[in-house]
Amino acid sequence: MARKIIKSKYFVEEDFVEVLAEVPAGGSSPLPTNQEMKVIGRPVTRLDGYDKVSGTARYTFDINLPHLAHARTLRSPYAHARITAIDAREAAKMPGVLGIIHYQNVDQIPWYGSSFLFDPHLRYVGDEVACVAAETEAAASAALKRIKVEYEELPFVVDAAAAMKQNAPAIHEGGNIQGGKPAVYARGDFDAGLAEADVVVEETFTTQVEVHNPTEVHCSVVNWEGDRLTVWDSTQAIFSVRDTVAQSLGLPASQVRVIKRYMGGGFGSKLTTGKYTVMAALLAQRIGRPVRITLDREEMNLAVGNRPDSVQKLTVAAKKDGTLSAMSHWSYGAVGAYPSGAACSWPLRTIYQCPNVKTEEYSVFINAGPGRPFRAPGHVQGTFALESILDDVAEKLAMDPLEFRRKNHATIDQVMNLPYTSKKLLEAYDAGAKAIGWDRRRKVPGADKGRYQRGLGFASQIWWGAGTPPAGCILKLNRDGSVRLIAGTQDIGTGTYTVMAQVAAEILEIPIERIQVNLGDTAVGPYCPLSGGSLTTPSVTPAVADAALQMKEKLLSAAAAILEVPQGELVYQRGEVRHTGDTSKKKTIVEILREMREQTLLTYGARNANPEGYAINSFGAQFAEVEVDTLTGHVKVIKVVAAHDIGRAVNRLTLENQFHGGILQGIGFALMEERVIDPQTGKVLTVNLHDYKMPTIMDMPEIEVIIVSEADTKISNVGAKGVGEPAMIPTPGAIANAIYNAIGVRLHSLPMTPDKILMALAQKG
Amino acid sequence: MNHFEYLQPTDLAEASRLLGDGPDEAMIFAGGTDMLSLLKDDVVAPRKLINIKGIPGLDDIRYTPGNGLVLGPLVTIRAIKENPTIREHYPVLAEAADVLASPQLRNLGTLGGNLCQRPRCWYFRGDFDCLRKGGATCYALEGRNKYHCIIGGHPCVIVHPSDMAVALLALDAKVTIYTPEETRQIPLNEFFVRPAEDYEREHVLKPGEIMSRIEVPAPPSGMLSGYRKFMERAVWDFAVVSVAAVFTRSGDRITGGRVSFGGVAPVPWQDEAFNRKLSGLRLTKRSVTDACKTLLSGAEPLSENAFKLPLARNLTGSLLLELAGVPL
Repeated sequence: MARKIIKSKYFVEEDFVEVLAEVPAGGSSPLPTNQEMKVIGRPVTRLDGYDKVSGTARYTFDINLPHLAHARTLRSPYAHARITAIDAREAAKMPGVLGIIHYQNVDQIPWYGSSFLFDPHLRYVGDEVACVAAETEAAASAALKRIKVEYEELPFVVDAAAAMKQNAPAIHEGGNIQGGKPAVYARGDFDAGLAEADVVVEETFTTQVEVHNPTEVHCSVVNWEGDRLTVWDSTQAIFSVRDTVAQSLGLPASQVRVIKRYMGGGFGSKLTTGKYTVMAALLAQRIGRPVRITLDREEMNLAVGNRPDSVQKLTVAAKKDGTLSAMSHWSYGAVGAYPSGAACSWPLRTIYQCPNVKTEEYSVFINAGPGRPFRAPGHVQGTFALESILDDVAEKLAMDPLEFRRKNHATIDQVMNLPYTSKKLLEAYDAGAKAIGWDRRRKVPGADKGRYQRGLGFASQIWWGAGTPPAGCILKLNRDGSVRLIAGTQDIGTGTYTVMAQVAAEILEIPIERIQVNLGDTAVGPYCPLSGGSLTTPSVTPAVADAALQMKEKLLSAAAAILEVPQGELVYQRGEVRHTGDTSKKKTIVEILREMREQTLLTYGARNANPEGYAINSFGAQFAEVEVDTLTGHVKVIKVVAAHDIGRAVNRLTLENQFHGGILQGIGFALMEERVIDPQTGKVLTVNLHDYKMPTIMDMPEIEVIIVSEADTKISNVGAKGVGEPAMIPTPGAIANAIYNAIGVRLHSLPMTPDKILMALAQKG
Repeated sequence: MNHFEYLQPTDLAEASRLLGDGPDEAMIFAGGTDMLSLLKDDVVAPRKLINIKGIPGLDDIRYTPGNGLVLGPLVTIRAIKENPTIREHYPVLAEAADVLASPQLRNLGTLGGNLCQRPRCWYFRGDFDCLRKGGATCYALEGRNKYHCIIGGHPCVIVHPSDMAVALLALDAKVTIYTPEETRQIPLNEFFVRPAEDYEREHVLKPGEIMSRIEVPAPPSGMLSGYRKFMERAVWDFAVVSVAAVFTRSGDRITGGRVSFGGVAPVPWQDEAFNRKLSGLRLTKRSVTDACKTLLSGAEPLSENAFKLPLARNLTGSLLLELAGVPL
């Protein structure tokens, strides 16, 4: 198959990136629609479902090796300090202790750009001070307490507004504003747009720091064989871990192999290589034994990322007829002690038609755990603020909120000035409004009189999620006629094993049980992108289709050789090659393989290039119905309708799983989750799952998922857009608008906890 | 977690002796749901753990009409929740058990442990040398205090975390305490210690003393009772505010009763003035709501928890009216 190398530009998590990629030269031909499919689009249960529920599935923590040692990390008890002395001699003598590393006995390995793996300048409570390997975790933990560290405490700041002030303690040499200046964007003439407006609304919204808290904690197991290192890691990005670990240890990347088979969630917190992995590798090297390092829940809440908070000041101006004439967004957010991103204005810039827009955003360092991408970075908090203020503008215009959005529907990407490959947001409005019963919505907010007051609200969503090359997949036929798919992507719990097998089963017309999928191993799988940014399904399934289509051709060719007939007289159907004339002439896959050498039928499929001259985005609208208990301030989410344009749905079941998880996570962000820091010490107070409150299954509303899209044939043969992030983006905004509709008081601050609602109701009187 | 000796006495006398000089030497271990996390978080570090589950007779539930209910300290929360007699005669107790923690914790957690559990204050549980742990400062006073007390605090502003205690307090329960010398009985409201008296302990048990029985008086005929616990999520949390109400009525008036609170004070709390007003209170929406307006009037909320006052008042009013069958 002819191929070419191209430059692919795509958006991942927080920024555009460009990569070189080999892609099919001929582009891609779309697969038939889901109506014509037997496996694709169906609610296929997970191939690994039994393994997971039976306990057979081996997660990173389950990797056990002979002579395995265990590591624990000593972390800074101070928000800002300098280590003046460290003495680990006593700790080293404790029973079971095998090795201790810290800044005095390890080379300075660059980390976070301007810092080091062990930096004596500690910038948050939880910053790494030392790491101990021992015979048991308990022995390692005991040793941590005996490492004598002298700290010089430094002034600290744990609030972004305070950190931006002139005299604030400097966390980095360049000051506390990341990059030294805000990120700005402008189009049109904001002031002119303001001048021609009939209604102008200006409001400030705040959102809290949210911590990922995936079920499975971060964990690595490392093992050296000579100068080659194998790393089992709970990661969303096996190739990034390989490259970072190799670079940190001064090894060629080819000498590091990263493996991840099963994973219990990441949500962005496992997109970045952890210091713990490199520390474990260093310890393993020193003690000559494999090492496992597992973070505990406290470390999960301190040191592996979070969604930066935000203070967002929005101005929205509209004409009497509802046309948006100007919008501005000014914001800042705390990225923690090391570089991350707090920007959140993307939805405002693109989702609605508006000629005059300006944004100015500050990412601010504070003495707290660094941020990391979190399921739709920026978009969740940005969408909450945007959709809240738009409802307020609609009310001033006496327009239905949905009509107001329809009026300002954007048909092109206004930032890049490109048309969309597809945009079915209007269809999502119609389907979602019908399903929730939008006509039941109280026309007057707070119209209910009793203790329990109900309301409806909605919010829209835009995200990238186009997928990108390079993404490769090897497909090989085994002697028994079964299929093995091998790719360098990773299933982070979303169902990637299953959706890849579905595509191969569909095209080769064989039962899905005959397909095995091997993912998450840098030594064997061709490169695929990290699993974040809703990239995985749209990137890897087209490669599977490409590989399977090629395999069909090879099987035809093989059968032609065996049957001694021209290939053109043969057709492939249901796992068999048949002669079009002589029905006695046929060969099944198994029969063909029996006559060939083991594993000689092998194809490599590659993801095509994305079409040039288009923006590729997913869209959707979520409608929420809530009930507010006005005596307690408790918000019960009754129902969420999620109507989305995500291209082709590949697996209806895992797709709905994604929406259930995303919406519940959105409810957590909207109503309860919040990292709380003690202002007196800079210590995080919410370091367990009692104090860091996440919703439970009992907080789950009824959820209805409506997919308004078919395959987006411009993107790829499969035509899927990612759903991971879209599932969560509009949930908090929809709930916020529903609460306003229920009680008639606008809450400007997340999470919308009962105390805030009670106090707001009291002020309303 | 420190290393400790694990001992399993078979009678109260032995257990009492093993407890020695106090918590630094030995602590009682029963359901373990709180003790294990206290040990793992290094909040406590006793040299010995005394498992009392091998002592017979401490897990009985006995109800005698006319005399009331006797509960052993090792009765599990699940046993209370599922006991038909308790459900029938003491709904408030069963309801408190219903909303306590999670099924797993209810299976293990005991009544005695629930009454003696340590506070959930994030400073107390966290890496802070706070007043209750022998330090100099109650960090919550100037720090983050949304979940802390609004009344009866100072110098330490914890709230007592027990649901069962609030229900038992409203039922006027008594606690029997085993001591090597004699067995004594005290009203439950004298069992808990306010920070002003001693901010390092939550109850009166002295070294070697063990709670051996909880007695609840027989319910007066026609007694109405209920428990309402407000949590920020649907399940598996401690009370932000909870209220237990127990009363009798005649016609549309309350003839006597008691209301108690969780989540508002360092001990399970009663507003004596309010309880005195209950007798004779008309069970109409207006009079109950009016009466609740002065509830906890001595409250001094902290910087982040003023909401607890209206929350407690609203919960109380709605509970009284619900129990009386008056539409809200």
